[in-house]
Order: sequence, then C-alpha cells, then structure tokens
Amino acid sequence: MSQALTRYSALYASAMSRRRRPRTLTGLDRLTAWVQLKIRHQRTALRVLLREARQIDAMAASIRAHSEAALDEQVRLVRERFIRRDVTTDVVRRGLALVREVARRETGEEAYVVQLAAALGLYHGRIVEMLTGEGKTLTGSIAAPLLAWKHRSLHIFTVNDYLARRDAHSRGAIYARCGCTVGAIQQEMSPGDRFQVYARSIVYGTPKQITADYLRDQLRIGPLGSAWMGRAFLSRLGEEALASGAGPLIPGLRAALVDEADAVLIDEGVVPLIIAQPRRTDDMADVYRQAAFIASKLDEGPDYSIDALRRTSELKRRGRHLAAGMWHQLDHPIWKTVRRAEELVRQALVAKHCYLRGKQYEVVDGRVVIVDEYTGRFLADRTWEHGLHQAVEAKEGVDVTADRETLARMSFQRFFRSYPFLCGMTGTAADATREMEQVYARPVTRIPTHRPMIRKQLPTRVFLHGQDRWTAVLDEIERLHAANRPVLAGTPSIEASEHLSSRLAARGLEHRVLNALHDAEEAELVLDAGAAGAITVATNMAGRGTDIKLDPQARGAGGLAVILTEMHTAKRIDRQFIGRSGRQGDPGTAQIYASLDDELPRQYIPWAVTLLRRCARDGEIVWRSGARLALRLAQRRAEARARRSRASVLRQDDWIDKNLPGQ
Amino acid sequence: MSERPTFSPFWHRVRALRPRLRPHVQITRQHYRGRRWHVVHDPATNQFYRLNPIAHEFVGLLDGRRTVEEAWNLTLERHADSAPTQQEALQLIGQLYNANLLSIDVTPEVEQLLRRGRERVKRKAIGQVVGIMYFKIRLFNPDAIISAVEPILRPILNRWGFLAWLAFMLFAVSRLIPHQEELFSSARNAIAPANWGWLSVVFIVTKAIHELGHGVILKRFGRQVPECGMMLLVLFPAPYVDASGAWALSNKWQRIAVGGGGMIFELFVAAAAALVWVATLHTDGSLVHQLAYNAMFIASISTVLFNANPLMRFDGYYMLSDLIEVPNLMQRSQNMLKHYFKVHAYGLKREHPPTNSPSERWILNVYGVGSLAYRIFLFITITLHVMGIAFAIGLLLAIWTAAMWFILPIGKFVHWIAASPNLADKRARAVAVSLLMGGVVFTAIGVVPMPDHRRAIGVVESRSTSGIYVATDGFVREVLVRPGDRVRAGDVLVRMESPDLVERIAITRANVERLDSLLRQATQREPTTRDSIASQLASVRDQLAYWLDKQERLRIVSPHDGVVVGNDPALLIGAFLREGEGICEIVDDSDLRIVATLGQHENSWAVKAARGELDVHTEVRFVSRAPVRMPATIDEFIEAGQSALPHAALGYGGGGTIQTRSDDRQGRLATSKQFEMRLTPEPAREGAWTGVPGERVRLRFTLADKPLAAQWADRLHKLVQGRVTL
Repeated sequence: MSQALTRYSALYASAMSRRRRPRTLTGLDRLTAWVQLKIRHQRTALRVLLREARQIDAMAASIRAHSEAALDEQVRLVRERFIRRDVTTDVVRRGLALVREVARRETGEEAYVVQLAAALGLYHGRIVEMLTGEGKTLTGSIAAPLLAWKHRSLHIFTVNDYLARRDAHSRGAIYARCGCTVGAIQQEMSPGDRFQVYARSIVYGTPKQITADYLRDQLRIGPLGSAWMGRAFLSRLGEEALASGAGPLIPGLRAALVDEADAVLIDEGVVPLIIAQPRRTDDMADVYRQAAFIASKLDEGPDYSIDALRRTSELKRRGRHLAAGMWHQLDHPIWKTVRRAEELVRQALVAKHCYLRGKQYEVVDGRVVIVDEYTGRFLADRTWEHGLHQAVEAKEGVDVTADRETLARMSFQRFFRSYPFLCGMTGTAADATREMEQVYARPVTRIPTHRPMIRKQLPTRVFLHGQDRWTAVLDEIERLHAANRPVLAGTPSIEASEHLSSRLAARGLEHRVLNALHDAEEAELVLDAGAAGAITVATNMAGRGTDIKLDPQARGAGGLAVILTEMHTAKRIDRQFIGRSGRQGDPGTAQIYASLDDELPRQYIPWAVTLLRRCARDGEIVWRSGARLALRLAQRRAEARARRSRASVLRQDDWIDKNLPGQ
Repeated sequence: MSERPTFSPFWHRVRALRPRLRPHVQITRQHYRGRRWHVVHDPATNQFYRLNPIAHEFVGLLDGRRTVEEAWNLTLERHADSAPTQQEALQLIGQLYNANLLSIDVTPEVEQLLRRGRERVKRKAIGQVVGIMYFKIRLFNPDAIISAVEPILRPILNRWGFLAWLAFMLFAVSRLIPHQEELFSSARNAIAPANWGWLSVVFIVTKAIHELGHGVILKRFGRQVPECGMMLLVLFPAPYVDASGAWALSNKWQRIAVGGGGMIFELFVAAAAALVWVATLHTDGSLVHQLAYNAMFIASISTVLFNANPLMRFDGYYMLSDLIEVPNLMQRSQNMLKHYFKVHAYGLKREHPPTNSPSERWILNVYGVGSLAYRIFLFITITLHVMGIAFAIGLLLAIWTAAMWFILPIGKFVHWIAASPNLADKRARAVAVSLLMGGVVFTAIGVVPMPDHRRAIGVVESRSTSGIYVATDGFVREVLVRPGDRVRAGDVLVRMESPDLVERIAITRANVERLDSLLRQATQREPTTRDSIASQLASVRDQLAYWLDKQERLRIVSPHDGVVVGNDPALLIGAFLREGEGICEIVDDSDLRIVATLGQHENSWAVKAARGELDVHTEVRFVSRAPVRMPATIDEFIEAGQSALPHAALGYGGGGTIQTRSDDRQGRLATSKQFEMRLTPEPAREGAWTGVPGERVRLRFTLADKPLAAQWADRLHKLVQGRVTL
C-alpha cells in the first residue's frame, strides 16, 4: 500500500510539473514582473551575500572546535529545521557554516568567502557568475545539501556524464555526512537503475539525460489533464502494478542547480530534445535523392536565392519552371503537389548551401552526425527534423535514413521552466542577464574573484581575407612557441581546425588537435595542453569544463596564450574560450584574429565590410577601433537574432500549452 | 511570396488526438462575395467561428474516431496545395478548442477551462475600461419579452409588412410637408434645457423600441437574444441587445433585416409621433405636442446620424458589412491601411494583405480612410460636446479616450517597432521612417508657425446718431419721411402745427402794433413816457421773435445727413406731442463703427491689441454681403465684462452665436460675461460702403503666426481656465 502511495505521489508530482510552467508575460505585465523581480531580489543582492558570507566565515572558528560527533549532531539539528520548513536567516547561516566545515573535513578544501557568497546566491535561486577556476565545484557542493534539505530533492546538471559521475563520487562523502543520498545518471543506465538513482535526494546528470527521462515519463502518463487525474492515475496504477511497474522515473521536479547555466539555459535552450520513431511506411529515400538532384541542376542567382541568416531559400520564376519540368517526369505522388514539391527542392537547396560538412555536421561511418554549434561536440543521436536531415544525407550521397515522426519534444528552455526552484552557476552569465530574468525569472549575480585576474587581453586583429588571418595566426603561434609558451588556438569548426592543423604541419610545428573527431583523446590532450611550448588546436569543445593546468615552466614563460581564430556569434562563447587562460590567478594572454571573410561580418554587417575593406594595409585593417566596433556590432546583432528566435519558440510553446490539452 | 511550410514542429501535440465538434454546435453555410464559408456557432456561449470550405471539411473529418493526423492526411490527398498546413491545422484546432467548440478525447483540464473563463472575464473587463465611451451594463435575458411580442407581430413581419411600413412613412412625411415652417421654427425648443428631462425619457423609450425591433426580427428568423442591458453611450444611457445570433443566419438579407429592424421600428415611432404632432398643432405648446415633437426628433435624427451611419459600429455598419459581403469590415480595413504602411514605408515585402480580391481591397481602402477620419472627427465633437455639458467629466473622458484611441495605439506601435520579430531585418529603416514621419508631424505642429485666427461676432453701429425730438408742443400735421429714408441735413422731416402758438403770435403782434402806435404818439406829445413805451415795445418784440422761432421749430428738420430709423413717425400724425418727446432717429451711415463681444478667454490678446502692443490684423465679413471683406482697426477694448449685450443681434435670439439666458425675454443677457470691443472699418477707398447699421458681422482676428501646438495649448488652457477653480 505504501508503495502504491509513493507511486501515486510520484505520478502525481510528475504530471503536476506540467502545470507549473510560468507563462511568458507581455507588455505591462512583463514590466511589473521585472520590477518585482528586481525589488524582491534586492534582499539577496551581492553586497548582502558578501556580508552574510563574512558572518558565516566568522563562525568558522567555533565550529571548527566541534568534535566529529558534535558536528554530526549539529548538522542533524540544522537539517531538521530545514525539513520542518522552519528556516530563518540564522538557520541558513548556520547550515552553510556547518556544511562548509563538513566539506573541509571530508575533502580538505575550505570555501573562501566569495564561494560562500556564491553558495548563498545559489541557495536564494540566483544564477551565479564565477570566473573559471574559482571553484564552482566546491561552491555547488556546499550549496547542494541546503537545497536538498529544503526542497527534498535536487537535480544537479553537469556538462557531461563524466563530470556527473566524478562529482557524485568525490562529493559523496560530504553529502553522506549531511544526510543526503546521492547518485549520478549515466547514459548507459537501465530504467530500473535510473529509477533507483532518481529516488535519491541529490541527483547528478546531464540535462539531456534528465530531460529525456522526464519526457519519456510524460509520454507514458499521456495527455492527462488534472480533472480526473486522481481516478485515471489509480486505474493506471492498477495496470502498471501488474506490468511490474514502469511508473515515472522522476518523482517530480523540485529543484535544479545547473552548471554552465548559460550554455544549458540559453545557448541550447531551444534545441529540442525529441523522442521520435521512424515512420511506419517510408518510401521517401528516393524522393530526397531526386530533390537533391534537381537542386544540383539549379544555379544560384538566376534560379534561386539563399538567405543564409534565416536558412531559407526561395525559387525564382526561372528556377521554379526548370524544377517543375524535372519533377513532372517523376512518378512519386509527392511530386504531384506543387507546394510539397517546391518545399522539397527548397530544402535541398538549403541543405546544399547552409549546411556544410565540417561545420554543421560531419560524416562518420556513412552517417550524418550533427556538430553542436556551441560545444563543438557530436550530437550523435540527434537528427534534424522534417526531412532536412534526409536532404543533407541525400546531398552527401550516404544512405538516406527513414524520416522520423516526433512523438514528443521538449526544449531545455521549457523543461527548466518547469522547475519551481532553479539556480545555476556559470563563467559567463552577465551577457545573458536580461534573458535569464525574462525567461526564467532568475536574477544574475557576478561574484568577485578570490584572486585578482592577471590575464592580458590583447587587442583584436582584423584581416581582409581568411588567408591573411591564417598567416598571421601561424606567425603568432610560431613566435609564442619559440617563447616556450603553451598555445591554445580556438577554431569555430572542425573544418577550420583541420585546416589550421595542416598549415601548422606544413610549417613543421608539432601540435595536437582537439575536435569532435578526436574526442577519445580529450582528457589526455587537455592534460598536456598546459606544458611549456605545447600547441593545441581546438574547437569550442575546449570551451566548457576544460581545466588546463600549467606546468611551472609554462607559468614562468607567461602562461597559456589563447588565440581565437574567428569571432563566434555570441560574445559569451568567446569569453568562455578565452577563460581557459588565466585561471586561479595564473598569467596568460588572449587575442582574437578575425577576418572580414568570416561568416559573422559577412552576414550581419555587409555594409561595414565594404567600408572597412578600404582601410586595409598589407591585408590587415589599420582602422582597428572601427573594425572592432563593427565586429562587436555584428556580434550584438547575431545575439539579438538568436534571442529573438528563442523568444519566438517560447511564444509558440506557450501558445500550444495554452490552447491545446495535455502535455 | 507566401511561405506556408507543410510541417510544424509542434504537430506531435495534436497528431494522435481524436477530437470532434461538440454535439450542440451548429454550423450554417454563408456566402461572401461568391465564396462559401461555414459559421460554427455555439449557442451555449454564443461564440462564433468562421471556416473556409477546406477547413470545414477538415473539421468535419474530425469525428472523434479519426486522429488529427489521419484527417489531415485525407485533406492533403483531396486538396493537395490548398489543404491546410500542419501549422494551420494546429491553429485551427487550438482556436476551436479554446472557443469550446471542439471536444478532445482526453480528460478535460479543469485548470485550462477555468483559466479560459477567467481570461474571458478579464478580456471583457478590459474591453469595458478601454471603451468607456460605450460602457455596457448587462441586465437580463429579454427572451421572454421578445417571445411575447414576436407572435403578435409575426403576421406583418414579411415583405408586405415592410411595404406597408414604407407607405406609412411616406404618409407621415406628406402630412409634415405643409407644416414645414412650424417644424423648423420650434427646432430650437427641442433642445432647450427646459425640455431635457422629457428628452431623455423619450430617448430611452424610443431606443428600447429600437432594440425590441432587433430582437423581434431575430426571433422571427428563429434565433435568440441572450442578453440585453444598458449601454452608457458617452455617458448617456441607451438600451442594447446582443443580436450576435444574426451572424449565424445564412441568408444575408435576413442578417440585414435584423440589423435594420431597430431602425424600422424606431422610424415607425417617429412617423407616428409626426402624425400626433401634426394633429396637436393647434394646441401649440401642450405637453403632448412637445413630446410628440421630441419623439419624432430623436427617433429620426438620431437614427439617421448614429444607427444608420456605417462608420460607427452600430446597425449601419453591420448592415453595410453584410450588404457588400465583407465581414469584419472595420478591423480588416484598418489592417489594410496598416498593411500599406508596412509595405511601402517599412519595406516589409513579405507581409500578407488582409485580402487579395481587388474589389474587396477597394472597399477596405475607402472604408478604412473614411472610418479613420470619422473617428477623429467624432472624438473631437463628442469631447467638446460633453465638455460643454459637464466639464470635468468631459475632460476626463477626453483624456481617457485620447489615451485609448491615440496613446495606446502609439505605445503599441512603438513596441511593435522596437520588438516585432517581423521587423527584425528592417528595423533600422522602420525606425528611421517613423522618426522622420514623427519629425515631420512634430515640425508641422510644433515648430512651423501657422496663422492664428480668432473669431468674434459683432454689430455695425453708427458713431453719430441723432434723436429727433419735438421742440415745440403741437399736433403732428404732416410726416415727410418714413424709417429707412435717406435725408440730407435741413430736410424737413415732420411738420407740426400749434393753434395755441398761432394765437399767441397774433396777440403779440397786436401788442406790438399797439405799442408801436403808442410810441409814435408819445414821441410827438409826451416825450417823458416815450422811454418806458420803447422799452415795453422791445420786450414784446422779443416775445414775438420767441414765438416765431417756436413756430419755426414746428417744422422738424434733419440735423445731418443720414437714414431715418426708429419708430415710424407717420403713426404720430394728428397726435399732440409735448416738447421733448422723441419722434425718430437719424443715423449717419457714413460714419460707422463695429461693436463686437468677445468671450472672457480672448481677454489677453484683445487688451494688448487695443493698446497697440500687439499687431493684430482684423477682417470684417458682412452677413448681408458675403463677398465684401474689409480690414478694421481696434479702437477700444472695454476691460470690464458684462452680461448685457450691446445689441440683441449678437445673442441666440437675434440670430447671433452668443448663448443668452433663457429667462431673458429681450435676449440681451448673455449666460457668460462678455467683453466689448469697438472697431472702425477701413474700406479700401474713402466713403465706400461699410455696412448697414444694426447689421451682424463676423470678425476674424489674425494674430502673429504661432505653431499649431502652441495655439492648441492656448485654446485648451482657455477652455480649462475659468471653469476649474483650484
């Protein structure tokens, strides 16, 4: 009976989580909500957090004097207060001081005042910006017990499975002494194991894993509303008890602590996680090949135009005529409907021009694999929707897979909005403050560094052509290498990293490449990247969660030199990559090498490009401030565009939630 | 090019559902401009939804057994390119579900239902607040009343009844025509404040009959009126009924009949009232007569002005909309104008126009421009009108309406410019164009000086006017002039006679002769008495001269050139008049001036202008001779306000524009203080015609050019000034 009740409550919590999603506000509502948010969170502003943190720090001496047993007893008392919901400022202070002491005794790391402030920020539901190397892991692990006590269960989202496993293990001792159970979700786990893990009070996992589990749960619950939910649940429970139980894996969403919050909540916020199944009847493979063939016969300009920004194409009169001539000879019924036929051809054109091998995808073992724009990693089990994936496959001449039909989809944006409590940490949140406030109603706090930052940011250099840039980059790498400094060269795509690698090889410079094609060697590569004179070429893969430790010789030579060979469309991604250098007070330099041929200036500021071309000498733009300004503008525009598209997804999600039944 | 992607990323949310139309939902077929539409009507909530034939077919396929995906695939097979895309189908299902027209095979979500209900209430409340000029108070369901009335009227609710109604109208008009003069002479009575109480009673009764008309005809076609109540139309209560049931009628003439039903009933009342009015003409001023007049007045004028006017959202609008078969005329015409703006000013080439049919587009253009202009006109007039009645409320109402009609749309517009995703690529241009236009408007209103005209009304009067008075008691024997006669100086106006005087002269003459002879004798015989006689004679001669002079003044002459005005002296023939009694006046029309009255808010500039501190160009226009315009100079401005008008011709009663007190019989007491200004007309050449004394003139003062905004601010300031005491 008690098991049935637990099941019931899990099912109920799981279904109810749908209803908690806040609505996006518009107009005056949005303004008032924003003002409310600002006012409400004044009480937990940075200076308050720091003051509190200093008070907690002052309690350290007395707590340190406790014997082990006394400490455990104290923890138990404080925990009870949390569980009884009898929480005052004093209790929070005391709790954090105790957990800090537990962490010190278990792992030997003692949190600094700024880390305490950050942990408090997390406790109060803020998105905390801490520069890389400022001890996010420790901060998270002293905030987690408090959150777990208060919200009964806490999900901690990490960048990858490895980190989830590592943290769950290394922090396990702290949590155990704090009376929390801990577990980590791993990709290869069976549902039964997952069920066990989700039952624990602190669960580590990647957003993808947990979101997918949630989505599957929701599918299983089906399009249930709330009216007769109780009855429907009980009947379902009866069946499922017979079928030896596959209730929801996740017993409701309560609290989430997101590491690299901006990446998860914003960059990947709208990338939908899709549960799909192949269509039962599928004879479309030929159709996509035919479309690719027709597309290859058309000429850009007279026949069609491409909008690279929107990733759309438009057939002109001549192109439509030509294409129609070709598809009329085809006998698949789909070619009989003009709109569908045109759509297929346009899609094939988009696949041809806007989706490039080595940039958006890579072909691995005869399969098209998507490369994540932000992390540079393969998204092995994801596909593009509505035939785009098939169009790309047809273009590449690999086997065209069956079109899949979506059963359920969920974006991180939507998923994380379902949590009643959300907080996060990241190295670069300040640029996303507005969006965090609007979409997630979470304020952002920037925590000062414990040790001053001494990394030097060198002025951006802008070149006329990509070739000039590569030459300059190579020269610079050579110079730095000669100075015995480790170099990390960032490239935007796999293709570019391979290109730079071949150029380096041509100059006889020994180097290593870190991209999605070589992800197996990642850990080893990262370990070596801090050695004196090491040259590492990396995609954005090196941008998150990579801790490059300098050897003493390299530190003496001036630390890690980061060279970015192109500006990304979002400033945060650049900052993230640059953040690999200058960790924990290490020396280092960073410099961006951009060219006017890059996608960013070409797509977002074409007029400025023509203007800047006139200010070049020896392939480099001499009017540096102008070029930098223009590039920053392009970046802003790109960011605004991305923000708008996320907002529009959110609006659509909301419309559906409001107007249609079920999940 | 319209892009309608076939697939939607959200399709999975509906594809497996098995929805069906709710069983009680009614579908009727309608035709608009040759195209078939289906109106889905939920009688329970009185909600409507219009579907095109393919969407209708798609919805029809949703029978609760098929899934949405199956139905969609079937439509796709049948209609290929014109079938709805997934996105369209999704939207359709969402909207129908949201309007409670569709039931879906899942457990109902109470949460969603309740929220929908709350939102409906909220929307309604916001609608009320926004449209405070049309504030609605819901009262009851009038179906019982209408059901009681309708069977009685049913025999005549057909085309024969309509013809009979027409005949009755014609008959009433024919009875009115002979009494045109009385009709218009009492026009002023109808709105005099004394009649206002009756006016409102009659107004509400006629309007109730009007609404009953809608209801009865709707009932006649088998639909119901679910709601009736009071609408505060610009603060004036007027009944309303919810006749939206007519939307589901498939015959457009039936819909028009429902729309026109109110006016038909109301005009019937007007015609009946006209007959009563004609019948009671002899009892001039009786209550029945007055009420009949009011009823006739309201039921015809207001019907024509308001209900039949298609530019406002009353009956005429819906009738027109049905007649030309363009549903949702107002909104779509506004969208049409916006569309032009977006395409041409902002370069949004991808925007969809509200219609693609050329004829419909034409209609939308005309209507859009017309209704926009009318809206502005209406706002100004209603505001001023209400301000006239109740100043504070009027002011609040004006501010509110300005906010709702102008500021809110501007705010929305700015938001749209700043945040609309459609504008993403054209934002720079949109901002530039908007700023430019805003700049042009701002410059035109706020910077460019514009002529500043003020108007006043005045009367021509002569500077030299002589009263003609009797100088010697006597009987009027002969009158030589009549009023209006032009006389020169010395012309005889009236001859009088005085028998008494004749006798006195005769006696005095005899005395003179007697004394004359006495004097002659004394000179010869008694020189000692000569002196005393001589002095007697002199005094008697003086007496004679005096009497003769008096006699001379029995002939009354004009002292100067001029025109005879005043009472007709001919009436005095034979009368005995004493010295000092007035006969008539001689007005010198070669030396005229103008007396004008100005309201107190014109004070500031008029004072300065009279002192010569302000350069004001004044133009005089004569009522009698419209083409004549001449400049004038301001001589004097009397800085003390007074209620008494210098001339009755300036007041309402005399045909002027200044409101006079209703208790003043002479019509010379203004309701507000007036300030007098005296001017001298300056004809182009010396001695030219400068009007007739007593004639009304219009004055236009041209002040120094000032930007329009400053002028308006000035005027508003004046309007507020003197009304609000802080």
